[in-house]
Amino acid sequence: MSNQVAQQYDKRPRMKEHGAVKRKNPGTNISKYISYLFLIVLCIIWIIPVIFGITTSFRSQSEVVSSGFRLFPKEWIFDNYVSILENTSTAPILRWLMNSLFIATMHTLLVVVVISITGYGYSRMKFKGRDTLFFTLLGISFFPGVVNLIPSYKIIDALGWVNTAWAMIIPGLAGMGNIFLVRQFMNGIPKDLDESAHVDGAGHFRIYFSIIMPLIKPVLIVCALFSFTGSWNDFLWPVIVFTDVDKMPVTAGLLLLQDIYGNYRMIGQLMGSAVLAIIPTLLLFLFAQKYFVQSINLNSGIKG
Amino acid sequence: MKKKLNLAPAFFVGPHVILFAVFILLPTFYGIYASFTKWNLMNEPVWVGLDNYKTILFDNGSTFHTQFNNGLKNTFIFVLLSVPLLIVIPLLVAVALEHKKVKGKSLIQSIIYVPGLISISAGALIWLLLFNKQLGMAGNVFGSDVSWPANQPYAWILIIIITIWGGVGGNMIIYRASISGVSQDLYESAEMDGAGTIRRFTSITLPSIRFPLIYTFVMTTAGAFNVFGQPLMMTDGGPRQSTHVLMMYIRQLAFGNGESIAGMASAMAVLLGLVILVISALQYYVMNRNAA
Repeated sequence: MSNQVAQQYDKRPRMKEHGAVKRKNPGTNISKYISYLFLIVLCIIWIIPVIFGITTSFRSQSEVVSSGFRLFPKEWIFDNYVSILENTSTAPILRWLMNSLFIATMHTLLVVVVISITGYGYSRMKFKGRDTLFFTLLGISFFPGVVNLIPSYKIIDALGWVNTAWAMIIPGLAGMGNIFLVRQFMNGIPKDLDESAHVDGAGHFRIYFSIIMPLIKPVLIVCALFSFTGSWNDFLWPVIVFTDVDKMPVTAGLLLLQDIYGNYRMIGQLMGSAVLAIIPTLLLFLFAQKYFVQSINLNSGIKG
Repeated sequence: MKKKLNLAPAFFVGPHVILFAVFILLPTFYGIYASFTKWNLMNEPVWVGLDNYKTILFDNGSTFHTQFNNGLKNTFIFVLLSVPLLIVIPLLVAVALEHKKVKGKSLIQSIIYVPGLISISAGALIWLLLFNKQLGMAGNVFGSDVSWPANQPYAWILIIIITIWGGVGGNMIIYRASISGVSQDLYESAEMDGAGTIRRFTSITLPSIRFPLIYTFVMTTAGAFNVFGQPLMMTDGGPRQSTHVLMMYIRQLAFGNGESIAGMASAMAVLLGLVILVISALQYYVMNRNAA
């Protein structure tokens, strides 16, 4: 994909080369230091909250209150986590984490199935009105989502999905964004490949599984990562759909914690809960860093 | 050859078309329809024509009118404060990271990207602690003894900070990928012509990444109009409703604990949707024309 993007740029008219003598550019070093300074300051600002949140979850309440702003605790304690995990009645965070895990995993698996099958249909199959259908759906999906928020709840209610994981897993599958990406990606695969397979007697399912699927793995991985983190971090929809404390995902649970851990009287517990809620996406990022960054090329493919 | 009705495409495309119809098409039309009705989510909607819109837009005595105006004003404030920063900062980061001599690029990129992976609710808890009057940085480092979420302009600053913190990474990565796609020959020949850093940025980088710029600008703006989580978690709309954004009113009216007025909320949602649509179209039109 990155090659495609590069090729696209290479088609641009090039700046005329004047064959001028190479001059020493005095700006280079200054710009290097400015770049460094800017990036380092930004990195410090960006990372401090993360570190502070994590280390505060290992502080005792008395230390938080008395010692002012220190990045690392005087004494590392684990009591906060013990008490978080023990409080299963008002703030069942383990339960919330399991709910989130189930929701995000199921959603991601289904996303991969739906977008690869649908993308195959729009990219590799010929049928009447194919492109019209695709672009009509794409056009409609640009309409601001806020309009369908309230009726979506009504539909979830009619399906009996209020306070169930399905409310989080299924509606998001209808989006067009990922399908657009997959279709773009598939369009870049030579048609001869499946045509010759077709001549050899392979059907669409066969071609989809054995030829196309392996080739579109990169785009599927990227979509899966973003679906997982998106689903894990979703906030507005779960706040609307879940009223039952035991059923909600962890993002909605954290909203309750502000009250449960009493206006920052139990700060270690509050921070510990926030830390538990961000660990899965951080781990995912650490393991799949290169795909997160690769994504990017896929994203920029949108500019077409 | 193709005389037989081929059902295979229906199998591949059909399931998603059904999902789309049920979870996007139907609710969108129903949302527009509901905005012309008196409805409280439970009963059958009763057609009232333009009544909701009249109340929201023109009835000075109505709380819906006040709420809508206040919510829209606050939403606009958020958009105007956050969007420029969410475009400029990532662009500067991407350009700085593109510098040949800067080392440790992937580490820097990761650090800046990571907050984007943290949910609004978890991030808000951390920032609230950092800016807690007694405990965090605001008091101990900046020596400020006001409660940030409860006073203006600090409440807005806090909301903007967490938004920028979480939002810069995504756009940065789009810009980075786009800039790294620009042919190095261009830069080299420009450098030979004696073009400085700024000149290279304005004459090569900016025009080359025109489409990603337009794309992120339009998407970031549209996203910002839907702002909800940050003010809900950080300030709960306060102080004195000054950060109460439109999405919060829409949710309150439609799903609130009291009497829910879904028809009125739908009308507000349609109005917000129209604002987003018009502004996106305008942005796209203006930027595309100027850049061409």
